[in-house]
Amino acid sequence: MPIIVNVDVMMAKRKMSLNELSEKVDLTLSNLSILKTGKAKAIRFSTLEAICKALDCQPGDILEYVAEEK
Amino acid sequence: MEIRITTKMMLQILHVLSWIIFIGLCVEAGSFLFNAIFTVAFNPLAADYFKLTELYQYDYGFFLTQLCLGFIVAVLKALLFFLIVKILHDKKLDFSKPFSQALVKFVSNLAYLTIFISFFSNWGANYAKWLASKGINMPDIADLKLDGADIWLFMGVVLLVIAQIFKKGVEMQTENELTI
Repeated sequence: MPIIVNVDVMMAKRKMSLNELSEKVDLTLSNLSILKTGKAKAIRFSTLEAICKALDCQPGDILEYVAEEK
Repeated sequence: MEIRITTKMMLQILHVLSWIIFIGLCVEAGSFLFNAIFTVAFNPLAADYFKLTELYQYDYGFFLTQLCLGFIVAVLKALLFFLIVKILHDKKLDFSKPFSQALVKFVSNLAYLTIFISFFSNWGANYAKWLASKGINMPDIADLKLDGADIWLFMGVVLLVIAQIFKKGVEMQTENELTI
């Protein structure tokens, strides 16, 4: 997928653990790991909002577009 | 007292019913096979079981072909119910996540089987009609268990459409599961 999820980078910057984030965002750990590993097909605005709020960042800090190599 | 029929109960009843029908159809298929062998090898009078004595006397090749078509239809019907028994026995029906790859395969297999049943019933019925047109006294196609080819075809087509819908359902369910 050309969209890369950089939640782990942001988590490292904010020094937040996966457990802490999952509690704050109210997501299960398995769902967070789906998001982190890039298996997710879509992300709800409400989830994005909650993650941005918890990590105090912008959506652009979490999501990145990288053109696919052909 | 109010009696509530839950999905689980319904499935259990269906399971028992499908077992009974499956066994019945196995016996029916067996009767075709046994009758064919017994008539040809031991006692020609056994042809009377399917009221095919006259056909047997005319030519036993025709007799065997007619019974073979009935046998194929009965086996396919038994297979159909075997698939139903199997899916109910394996408990593959999960109503919290109804769309699974196993179910798509199940419905498509049912569809193909019913279409084959329709094809062979139609063939058998037409064969009986053709034999009757040669002046042989043939029994009713219902006695040969070859009736209802058009209904089987209708059911097969409906099941094929449902299988396609299920396929789309599986796609939507996976997408929904992977939406965080």
